[in-house]
Amino acid sequence: MALLQIAEPGMSTAPHQHRLAVGIDLGTTNSLVATVRNGVAVVLNDARGHGLLPSVVRYRADGGVDVGHAALARAAEDPHNTIVSVKRFMGRGLRDLPDLATLPYQFVDAPGMVRLRTVAGEKSPVEVSAEILKVLKARGEAALGGELVGAVITVPAYFDDAQRQATKDAARLAGLNVLRLLNEPTAAAIAYGLDNAAEGIYAVYDLGGGTFDLSILKLTRGVFEVLATHGDSALGGDDFDRRIYCWILEQAQLHTVDDHDKAMLMAKAREAKEYLSDHDEARITALLASGQVIDLLLSETTFNDLTASLVNKTLTPCRKALRDAGLRVQDVKGVVMVGGATRVPRIQAAVGEFFGQMPLTNLDPDKVVALGAAMQADVLAGNKSGDDWLLLDVVPLSLGLETMGGLVEKIIPRNSTIPTARAQEFTTFKDGQTAMSIHVVQGERELVADCRSLARFELRGIPPMVAGAARVRVTFQVDADGLLSVTARETGTGIEAGITVKPSYGLSDDEVAAMLRASYEYAQDDMAARNLAEARVDARRLVEATQAALAENGDALLSTEERAALEKLVAALDNALAGDDLAALKRASDALNHGTVEFAARRMNLSVRKALTGHRLDELEI
Amino acid sequence: MDFSQNHFALFGLPIAFELDAERLERAYRDIQAQIHPDRFAHAGEAEQRLSMQWATRVNEAYQTLRKPFERARYLLQLNGVDALDPRDTSMPPDFLMRQMEWREALADAGGDSGALARLEDELRAHAAELRAELAQQIDRRRDWPAAAATLRKLRFMDKLLEEIEAAYEQ
Amino acid sequence: MPVTLSERAATHVKNFLAKRGKGIGLKLGVRTSGCSGMAYKLEFADAEDPEDLKFESHGVTVYIDPKSLSYLEGTELDFVREGLNEGFKFNNPNVKSQCGCGESFNV
Repeated sequence: MALLQIAEPGMSTAPHQHRLAVGIDLGTTNSLVATVRNGVAVVLNDARGHGLLPSVVRYRADGGVDVGHAALARAAEDPHNTIVSVKRFMGRGLRDLPDLATLPYQFVDAPGMVRLRTVAGEKSPVEVSAEILKVLKARGEAALGGELVGAVITVPAYFDDAQRQATKDAARLAGLNVLRLLNEPTAAAIAYGLDNAAEGIYAVYDLGGGTFDLSILKLTRGVFEVLATHGDSALGGDDFDRRIYCWILEQAQLHTVDDHDKAMLMAKAREAKEYLSDHDEARITALLASGQVIDLLLSETTFNDLTASLVNKTLTPCRKALRDAGLRVQDVKGVVMVGGATRVPRIQAAVGEFFGQMPLTNLDPDKVVALGAAMQADVLAGNKSGDDWLLLDVVPLSLGLETMGGLVEKIIPRNSTIPTARAQEFTTFKDGQTAMSIHVVQGERELVADCRSLARFELRGIPPMVAGAARVRVTFQVDADGLLSVTARETGTGIEAGITVKPSYGLSDDEVAAMLRASYEYAQDDMAARNLAEARVDARRLVEATQAALAENGDALLSTEERAALEKLVAALDNALAGDDLAALKRASDALNHGTVEFAARRMNLSVRKALTGHRLDELEI
Repeated sequence: MDFSQNHFALFGLPIAFELDAERLERAYRDIQAQIHPDRFAHAGEAEQRLSMQWATRVNEAYQTLRKPFERARYLLQLNGVDALDPRDTSMPPDFLMRQMEWREALADAGGDSGALARLEDELRAHAAELRAELAQQIDRRRDWPAAAATLRKLRFMDKLLEEIEAAYEQ
Repeated sequence: MPVTLSERAATHVKNFLAKRGKGIGLKLGVRTSGCSGMAYKLEFADAEDPEDLKFESHGVTVYIDPKSLSYLEGTELDFVREGLNEGFKFNNPNVKSQCGCGESFNV
């Protein structure tokens, strides 16, 4: 029997229509799933009472997959097949990965993103991440007693487009409907801000296992506005471990280390770092495969010396973000610390020194991101009226195009509030040119070679003209997930040739579908059932949303005939929902979607007019 | 969506360079609160798409009006003047002279942050003067060519300030 | 007392209200919907409706609209844990049949 949760006033759902939604912090070291239950955000534990799921996936020779503690426990024993910190490889090519030498994996260079060779075959980081997400999804469903309508998944604010797209693909592969990709520091700000009724300028210092973000937010009356974000998507707690690891090698005069010892010593290094959070020194003991015994004493002072340059490296983004926001250190009212690595006393001291105030540590740095994501998921799923708060986030890195001479022309500057769009016109440089190649890049540097290449595509079918006569309009659109799509269109002659690309580094829709098919869980029948189930969820949501809209503004905005036509489309979709013909369901959904366009436009116009009414009155008073 | 509406009308503001920043911000937030995609995450496809288009449009309008430089450029554009037309780069000789002096000062400062700060203060003060001039030229005198010339000077100042930022970095 | 909360339920409700930071109590009701005719309504109450009947159980104020009362008379609201899932359960003596899930019922 289903158990009931207390709903927000007026937000009770019909039986079997609970909009169960979760927030997922897909971390480098640990992952968590949280939800809002009875009005309160809580982290969901597994059956053993663990909230944190180690982000570790082990592929076994028998075809099985272990995730979490079970996988972590075998990391030293089975290093090639036990993938730790997979987040570092998301959306990355082989040449983007530093510290290859300290990693025990067998990498396969593949276009766009590396792959890892395991006993279960070559795995993309997207597939590995999907294994973690599947476990969290199952945990959420067990704890909430039903299927999830969707999840908010957090990503480092400084993740580029490739890394975001890879994360979204992993979620799709795990069978999760992504309500939104949310930046980790923003999620933390929601959890902190709502709990403490914070107002003013806040900095969120988020040092995760493998990524560092610094976001500056302005909190006013329930609006969380990100003013600037900076970071380093290849700097995190792992690097502190690696420094200790290298120190161990040096002290013990080890020159070659096999992969087992490597994984074991990395684990010892991490333990030592954590131990030093509350102690002056940590003892590191280990027995190597060679029989050599390691017994070392690491003092806090030595640890601080080893990692001083890493701590300093985090302060540069602090400076840059403040400058981009046009603010000074004195303007910052509070500094929220996020990520397990911020427990390191030297980091807290350095951040305190930089901002001239002790950072806020009154919340659990491991959980705050998941809790904020859960709160946002609750709003996006429609369980809250949504008037309580509004998020305005930004693009972390400039987006641009390659122009002549390998230079970058920026189209969307970093820290633009999303969603955003910009268009730029280009022209042909040769007589009779009928195609133009377009190379989309992300980054701040002037040379294409120094930026991240996101996609290349060709616009064909330009009518042959003299050089400079054709006009090609390239439009960049970044959506609310921070994901880019690019359109190019030849407009000079009125003949339009358009193409929309999803940048090509990630996985194509076909590839994701193929992976889904290949996964043993989804046999052909299951696939069809799953498609139908997904279409049903979408259709039901559409019926519900249209009915709500009709009830709210139907009389005011529609003529009797228009209303009757829409109601007919709703009834037709309702009818299709009763059967199990996928094609009929899709047709009825498309028809209703198409039919509501004009009504939706009128509703939006009304909303904007409503929002301004207050200001018009202001004017009258003046 | 009514794309013909100008940015000022969108926020219910008078068309002018001088602007009540607080009122702009309030109008921006109130509109976003109504039309942001987060409000439509569980709505139908049509509403989701429209909400993204609206939010995009409102963001663009806000970013344009919020920054004095972009606001002035936009106002001139509304009056049919392309202030940054690449074919017109004329600058008065005295301003060109000052430009050269500032550039030399920047080169001489090298990594000296004290010297950089002094130069930055001077440039910021001059940029503020230029913005005050813009207000006169646009709102009172409606002298578009003069405003366009001031805007070109301001663009140069912004570039130089960026270079100072970069010099701090090193 | 026509409607009560178990002690466990009351403790949880008080806890949720405190963490939520606002609210004056709990609003219970029934509405017609669902596979077996009626469905429960369980919401936070942020403001008092003068028409509602007001009860007190283990320190929690419970509001019920008069129309719902006859369907809820004698009900105890309990808080239970089932595996990883936890939540509230209506023990309602008026129920003649309910759908398998317990979210919808008939009197």
